[in-house]
Amino acid sequence: MDRSQLGFDQNFSGAAADFPSLLRRKGLLGPAVTGAMVQTETRQRMWQPTEATTILAFKFSGGVLVAGDRRATAGSTVVYDRADKVLEIDRHSIMAIAGVPATAWEMARVLEHSLQYFRRTQLQEMSVDGKVRALSKLLRDNFGFVMQGVGVVVPIFATYDGISKPEARLYFYDAMGAQFEATDYAATGSGSPTVRGILYYENNWGGKRLYDLNEEEAMSLALRALDTAAESDTATAGVDRTGKIYPVIKIVSREGIATLPENKIAAVFKQMVA
Amino acid sequence: MIEEPYRWVEAISNRREYIEGQLASGSPIAALGYHGGILFLTLGQTRQKLFEIYDRIAMGAIGHPGDIERLRLAAIELASTEGFTRSAADVSLRRLVHYSLSPVMKNAFEQVYGPPYLARMLFAEVGTRPENDLFLRVEYDGEIATNGATYARARQDFAVLSGTRESGELMEAFLKTEHKPDSSFDAAVKSALDAWSVGHMLLQGSDGKQLPGRDAITQHRREQLAMAAIEAAVLERDGSTTIRYRSLEDKELRSLISD
Repeated sequence: MDRSQLGFDQNFSGAAADFPSLLRRKGLLGPAVTGAMVQTETRQRMWQPTEATTILAFKFSGGVLVAGDRRATAGSTVVYDRADKVLEIDRHSIMAIAGVPATAWEMARVLEHSLQYFRRTQLQEMSVDGKVRALSKLLRDNFGFVMQGVGVVVPIFATYDGISKPEARLYFYDAMGAQFEATDYAATGSGSPTVRGILYYENNWGGKRLYDLNEEEAMSLALRALDTAAESDTATAGVDRTGKIYPVIKIVSREGIATLPENKIAAVFKQMVA
Repeated sequence: MIEEPYRWVEAISNRREYIEGQLASGSPIAALGYHGGILFLTLGQTRQKLFEIYDRIAMGAIGHPGDIERLRLAAIELASTEGFTRSAADVSLRRLVHYSLSPVMKNAFEQVYGPPYLARMLFAEVGTRPENDLFLRVEYDGEIATNGATYARARQDFAVLSGTRESGELMEAFLKTEHKPDSSFDAAVKSALDAWSVGHMLLQGSDGKQLPGRDAITQHRREQLAMAAIEAAVLERDGSTTIRYRSLEDKELRSLISD
């Protein structure tokens, strides 16, 4: 008689709730931890730089290039040398992560499913602003863990806006979920100060604005920047010359996401960097 | 009323008659497996009838929009949570329909004091090869029909949905002779449009039982295409992307129909 007994949720309605709250309702995702449980002793630990990696992204003539090294660390130990921190969220969006991998990958998974869930239920693509905000909300939900010294994630989000004004868009975040739109470039992780310096210099005095670089020039700049970051930052792998492990480089453009094949990266590396 | 078994049976049969009457005007939907995937096609002027459910699953439905919406959202919700907690490969149409949708619809139908679902749905799941394609039709009473081989017939690589049983059966008879497995996309579009016309002609009151002649089908199709828009979608077999659903433009389909 009443439909709630029929296996669908009680507050089931046409106005679909967002995917994370659906997961929480079903007990499939932990509750949003807010900063209420902050204590003085945890506050001491909260700004430890645990986002040990280097991620960079900049706009060039062919869209947005996003690159990340492959090293995963725990303290001063290298635990994995083939980590992929540049993750595809949908056909036109990339989330690149610096921070605690467990939280970051889970966050990417939730975001990916959220966007698809929205498109399927609402029968329209979510706007770029909506996507950017969705990630911001996930970061905010996670902030309690950040305050406790575990689970800090500082991502970069790159996407192509096919709806309002057709162009590539690039955003970076802080650990609390504040979003900033980058005009030219963004970097995150422990190696980011170095990279930011390089990109700023290149953009102003490098002969060519970042925006005017072609694909090959953009690739070699990304490889050089990561290698420079790795020079002083132990948490960044740069290019592993002996193991032949190259950074992950993806390009977002009108056509979607292109993952650059390793042999292409290797060729550019050999010619322009090594 | 339902204390007596006979009254209950009577109530159920009244209810069946009522629902059949409500659904009778629903415009047919044809789903055909072809070389590159599965094509869903219908003609209509008003609301959307073809939907994406999950990476490899699509749905077509006729019935009351409110009921279709509830069932559609339930299916998406179930598939999405399964895909999130396990993986996209674990989302299965067979499980979704057999264990979730069908029992719920049967329950609603048989609780004679509550409202039933005024909806009839057609699902398809694209497989890695044409012989893995799965089609499932779910009736308002939870009854399930599949394209699998039974003692009475061979496996089919198509499925249809229509307002009346007769109309659907005639469409199936038509596709059994017309539609070739592993056909091209263009051929599938033509077969689907003709099957739609066959089903629609019967709903409009032409003589049942016999398949109309080829000229009559073509003429009916031409008349209807002048008035209504084609709504179509495909589930692509190509495994290079995770999301296989793509809705098709009316314009790109019309260019394929030469006559």
